[in-house]
Amino acid sequence: MEYFISLFILASINIILATSFNLILGYGGLLSVAQPIFFALGAYCSALIAIYFEIPIFLSIILASLVAGIFAFGVSLPSLRVSGDYLVVSTLGFQLGTLHIINNIEITGAAGGLSNIPPLISHPYRSLLTLFIVVCFAVLSIWMVRKIMRSAYGRAITALRNDETAFSSLGRNPIRIKVLIVALSAAMAGFAGGMYSHYYLYITPEQFGIFATATLLTMVVIGGAGTVLGPAFGAIIITTLPEIITFLNLPVSIMAPLQGVIFTGLVLIFIFLKPSGLIGSTRGLDGLEIWKK
Amino acid sequence: MFSSDILLQLGWTGLATSSFYMLFATAFALVLKVNQVWNFGQAGLMVIGYFSCYIFLQILDFFPLWAIVFSIFVTVLAGCCLEKYGFGVLRERKSPPLTFFIFSIVIAQFFVFFAELIFGTTPKTLYPSLNSKINIFYGIVITNWDLFALISSIIIMSVLYFIMKKTKLGYSMTAVSDNPELAEMYGIKKEHIYLYSISISSFLLFWGMYLFGTKAAIFPSTPLLQLLVFAVIATIIAGIGNVFGAAMAAVFLSLLQAFSILLIPSKWQILIAYGLIFFIILFFPKGFVLNLSLFKTKKNMGS
Repeated sequence: MEYFISLFILASINIILATSFNLILGYGGLLSVAQPIFFALGAYCSALIAIYFEIPIFLSIILASLVAGIFAFGVSLPSLRVSGDYLVVSTLGFQLGTLHIINNIEITGAAGGLSNIPPLISHPYRSLLTLFIVVCFAVLSIWMVRKIMRSAYGRAITALRNDETAFSSLGRNPIRIKVLIVALSAAMAGFAGGMYSHYYLYITPEQFGIFATATLLTMVVIGGAGTVLGPAFGAIIITTLPEIITFLNLPVSIMAPLQGVIFTGLVLIFIFLKPSGLIGSTRGLDGLEIWKK
Repeated sequence: MFSSDILLQLGWTGLATSSFYMLFATAFALVLKVNQVWNFGQAGLMVIGYFSCYIFLQILDFFPLWAIVFSIFVTVLAGCCLEKYGFGVLRERKSPPLTFFIFSIVIAQFFVFFAELIFGTTPKTLYPSLNSKINIFYGIVITNWDLFALISSIIIMSVLYFIMKKTKLGYSMTAVSDNPELAEMYGIKKEHIYLYSISISSFLLFWGMYLFGTKAAIFPSTPLLQLLVFAVIATIIAGIGNVFGAAMAAVFLSLLQAFSILLIPSKWQILIAYGLIFFIILFFPKGFVLNLSLFKTKKNMGS
């Protein structure tokens, strides 16, 4: 039972993460490869704040998500001032650089990882209660993105994605919107990271590397980028799929790359054969096709 | 504080190391200029090039020359497949730039994971021994590898310069990079040019990986996590479209990294490259090398 609860918690955290990534990739039409590092910033900052300042865990998660948002703002502003293309480059550098720092400093536990993280809930039914909370936040994140995208602000995001030149000619500031989307999305990822660290109580840098980027891309692309429920659906599939492979009892050295091959292979298949994703409409107006003008 | 011997040694080491960085940067900049694609899939081609050579040399025990020839063939073929069945299909479908980005990043990751699955996550070397004969020249240690790497890279870059500046193929590549549709009206088949450009790029990548692999052991993830970033930064420093500027920028980066050891512990050296990304994007978004040439043009116009 504990195993399944843990799996559902991970799936719910991944739903928040995928939904946050969908906000920039699917709706914003921007590619940031650093989303897992904002998740990592949330996880590490929340854990460290809770360990060293002994403040309520939930407050430390909120603070950590703010830190992730601020970092995203700082990373995206200079690159988005130039072009959306540069966001990929700067986030790639940010991801690799931050991982290198986490891997080499003592306070984060370096490559060995950070342990002794205080739990979000200390109770005999800790897992069940955490599951309830995380599911609530997963639903809340989906609702929030849906709400944003149906508001005037969401229509501005869509207009910007579809035609930036026309958008700018109306006197709107495209950079402001883009940077805000990236920062909000990173804050959501940071929040998910905080929840993750205070449930699993142990984090290592290798959980947030290129494998995490591939996993996240897979969730959003196969679910359907630019759809409200697609990434959530993708997150559930991608969280449960590796568990099926686990039953093959393969050595760890094979498991991780095998998962990587499957995930990236799935993304490639979907890019060419079903760019609208599983949830996207058959008219080809969702998923990767959504970015076509 | 630092003796001239130490400075000269660092300079020489940086220059020798720049031999493969130069090739990676040129390969990346060439595809970006001609095919107009940020080819992060380059890391996948590097993995293919290196591990095909590893198979021919270490597993099939081929004579080195044949192993190199076959590996070049495999890498170029993989590059052509990437262009024809990847970028070509997306181009035909008029996919947005974001799809190209996703595809090129994911294909690189796919080959890294595939290599990890087949060869494991431990580092691999192309030859059982990586020792190279040492020569002392005015107090500077110069290995045979240094000489081989530098001379071969300079020859390759010279041939590429000749191709780009003096041949019909080079003119065609420039024409396609400037305006593919207009180039087609003049009878240039842009699809062929894309294939030529990625073939040249694949060759450069293979040779860079061969040089790297004869100096150090390589993890399957090294091209993606370490080498690609250098190529991207050099391309941005040079300014998009400036192929030989990217090579110069790679030499500069390599020297910078070599000399940084005087001030920064070696484990933090890689951060210089990542930090430079932000510095360049903030202060020289159109590239440093290109900016210099623009400055010269403006000055000339002014006078």
